Amino acid sequence: MEIEPKTTLLDLLRQNLGLTGTKEGCGTGDCGACTVLVDGKAVNSCLYPACEVEGREVLTIEGIKDKDGNPHPLQRAFVEEGAIQCGFCTPGLIMAAYALLLENPKPTDEEIKRGIAGNLCRCTGYVQVVEAIKKASSYLEGGGP
Amino acid sequence: MSDIVGKPLMRIDGWAKATGQALYVADLVFPGMLVGKFLGSTCAHGRIKNINLEKAKRVKGVKAIITGRDFPYLHGECIINIPFLAIDKVRYVGEPVVAVAAEDEEAAKEALSLVEVEYEELPAVFDPEEAMREDAPLIHEEMEKYQYISAVKMIPKTNICQHFVLSLGSLEEGFAQSDYIFEDRFTTPQVQHAAIETHGSIAQVDTQGRITLWGQNDSPHRARKEIAQALGIPQARVRVITGYVGGNFGGKGGLKSEAIAIALAHKVRGRPVKVIFTREEVFRTITRSGCIVYLKTGVRRDGKIMAREVKLIWDTGAYAEKGPTISLHGGSLSLGPYDIPHGRVESFTVFTNKPMSGAMRGYGLPQVAFAYESQMDLIAERLGISPYELRMKNIVHERSKVVTGQRLYAVGLEECLIKVKEELERPDEAVERKVKLLPLGNWVRGKGLAVSYKSTKTPTVSAAYVKIDEDGSVSIVTSTVEVGQGAHTVLTQIAAEVLGIKEEIITVSFADTDVTPYDTSTTASRSTYHMGNAVLQAALDAKRQLLALAGSLFKCSPEQLEMREGLVWARDGRKMTISQVLRDTFGPGAGAAVLGKAVFSPDGILGLEDLGEVKLEAFSTFSVFHSYAAQGAEVAVDLDTGMVRVLKIVAAHDVGRAINPVNCRQQIQGACAMGLGFALMEEYLWREGKVVNADFLDYTIPTALDCPKMEVFLVEKAHPQGPYGAKGVGEMALAPTAPAIANAVYNACGVRIRDLPIKPVKLLKELIKKRSEKEGLFQ
Repeated sequence: MEIEPKTTLLDLLRQNLGLTGTKEGCGTGDCGACTVLVDGKAVNSCLYPACEVEGREVLTIEGIKDKDGNPHPLQRAFVEEGAIQCGFCTPGLIMAAYALLLENPKPTDEEIKRGIAGNLCRCTGYVQVVEAIKKASSYLEGGGP
Repeated sequence: MSDIVGKPLMRIDGWAKATGQALYVADLVFPGMLVGKFLGSTCAHGRIKNINLEKAKRVKGVKAIITGRDFPYLHGECIINIPFLAIDKVRYVGEPVVAVAAEDEEAAKEALSLVEVEYEELPAVFDPEEAMREDAPLIHEEMEKYQYISAVKMIPKTNICQHFVLSLGSLEEGFAQSDYIFEDRFTTPQVQHAAIETHGSIAQVDTQGRITLWGQNDSPHRARKEIAQALGIPQARVRVITGYVGGNFGGKGGLKSEAIAIALAHKVRGRPVKVIFTREEVFRTITRSGCIVYLKTGVRRDGKIMAREVKLIWDTGAYAEKGPTISLHGGSLSLGPYDIPHGRVESFTVFTNKPMSGAMRGYGLPQVAFAYESQMDLIAERLGISPYELRMKNIVHERSKVVTGQRLYAVGLEECLIKVKEELERPDEAVERKVKLLPLGNWVRGKGLAVSYKSTKTPTVSAAYVKIDEDGSVSIVTSTVEVGQGAHTVLTQIAAEVLGIKEEIITVSFADTDVTPYDTSTTASRSTYHMGNAVLQAALDAKRQLLALAGSLFKCSPEQLEMREGLVWARDGRKMTISQVLRDTFGPGAGAAVLGKAVFSPDGILGLEDLGEVKLEAFSTFSVFHSYAAQGAEVAVDLDTGMVRVLKIVAAHDVGRAINPVNCRQQIQGACAMGLGFALMEEYLWREGKVVNADFLDYTIPTALDCPKMEVFLVEKAHPQGPYGAKGVGEMALAPTAPAIANAVYNACGVRIRDLPIKPVKLLKELIKKRSEKEGLFQ
């Protein structure tokens, strides 16, 4: 597909592809609501030039599943642990957690907090979010997502 | 005995949100939709001399470009004084002056960049105490000519848009009976709601002038009224629809993005106009009011508080928004949850040339709670008794009378306070682990306590339908907005409980004023109590109707039937499914329904017995229920840098009845985090009325690294009129957090900060001053 040079990855996803699961909270890379994975690394898609993803793998909230095609263990854990309130930061948080578990499948509380420190959530106080990520790690038996 | 009420049911909107499938207003796209944007004033106070739109109009793709003169209407909840777009005058930096609707965002931005606005600057005033002075420039020259509600008592020819006095007993007597008098001044700054979803709306106006608004307004019926009132049209010509909302905290009431979208949609009849605010625009649009609190408290040697006098000055920004009623609410609670025989509150709400202040989680309570709970610790220290004992000696109990004259019912504060003390004193390994992770520094530790209580908007109305369809599925039709607080889950549990069915066969509607019955607002922690009662009664109504039908089929009286496990049971053991009852009644294939309905408004408010006949009006200072909370905080303070780290928060809340304990815990933890930000991090920074930190880089809110372990304890002192005894929970938890942290900071390092937030630089300055005094460096 063709895009304008200044299109961001976030606009490409939301506007060109209709993948609105990725959210915009600030547009300046400060809140993490737009977090997606590019080749396995978490990025703020609102700052990421769309043309840079040519030939690379982009993973968004719409694309994560477990091996049977059901919601991913991270999504399940977020629902079960009460880690979701308004839900607007949730896709970004889940993708940040996904990237964290890829790198570190059995993180400590402190490592989880560092892993999601770039994702602002105004509803939860993060307590249940940390619990959910720990639970997802145990669902995945420490094997990563 | 309940099956579903009280259970930690997973929230019903969880999967939609976890998968990214929940659609928020920014995600909606309609055919022919235009992008709307606005240009904000660069002048804090001035007359608009000239606006040149010529170049802007010529930009390709621009469909409409308008100023306040093109849409000269005013709106507002308390005082109708907010223009959709500035009319001839601007009153704060960022106030919308010009709006454009274009085919795409780029064209809209380009057009706005070509607009030329000329202002004649007027003297501006930014400090509320200066704005109260006689010689202060008037921000609204003819304030008294606006329309306003009866709760507003303005002082004409001033900037004071609300002034009131509440009083109980005799202050003179109270101070005469006191051994000590304490006088202090505390301040809290303007802060932002910072919901992660920014403000946004889509408006369409058809050729007949009927307005449809899709968006995130927290109170669709209230918005409909405000729009209809502003434009002088019947409410029936306005339809407000609210879907998923990405966080609210009070910021998404009133008309913000809505005003711009509606104004533009009138000029491009038929085409929907979508307005999504940038983060910077949100910062420049709405705040929590800053407040100056003067407290004078008289105390006996034994610690009994005899009198408390409060003077409040609220900075409400350039327009009234909800400021006048916020001050009524905060003012009525400003003596704290204490049994004080003599009290007086005088409150001023003042215009300044800053963005308007509105409702934010607590509606005036966090400001006053910081003051009275900070002073409680000052008193305790001087008297040589512990902060816990001083509070135990003075807190409210059953039938205590507060400054409004109302007596309190269902008071669980003492239990909360005892629980917090126990938990705060208990050795905690998690805290010790956290201490080990502190960066290098000269850390000292301390603990602090705070209590608070909160009322709700009274009187208000909630209506609901509970519909049972042919196959036994149930729909709750309600205007309560799911802003993330879990209201839809709680309402589901209440209906499931009444009907004896599983939650999976219940759906909850989004709010749509054409369809869903009236609800005052999704505010004031009122939904569980009010809409909970409405859904409870509507479900009972549906059940009554269904059992009447079943009674005919069973040939027995409905009283001999009951509903459980998804079935209708007769006493003799006969049973039918709900769908069988409906199909057998209406005929197979004919379709079938039962429609239960209820309108709930508080009847017989408890605690007014001493007041004779009370005529309740909107925004009375009385409350249909009160919620209570105690919190404790443990902190570490680095004496070398002034840095504060919160190690632990303990929160005990009397929620009446936890319909869903997970929801309650979520609300409390989230509010504690917001309270932590209020205590340590958050404040608007200004330069001549311009917000200089309108982004998340410079206005910091708590991240996962800032938030400690938060232990939540639920106390259930059932309210006799609440659904299953429930009261409210959402706002309460923010109020005690900041003073508990401030008291812990004092306990750790001996520095009392009276002006929030407790930022490192501020604390370090005081630490250095204290050290210098101690060492006699500057004598």
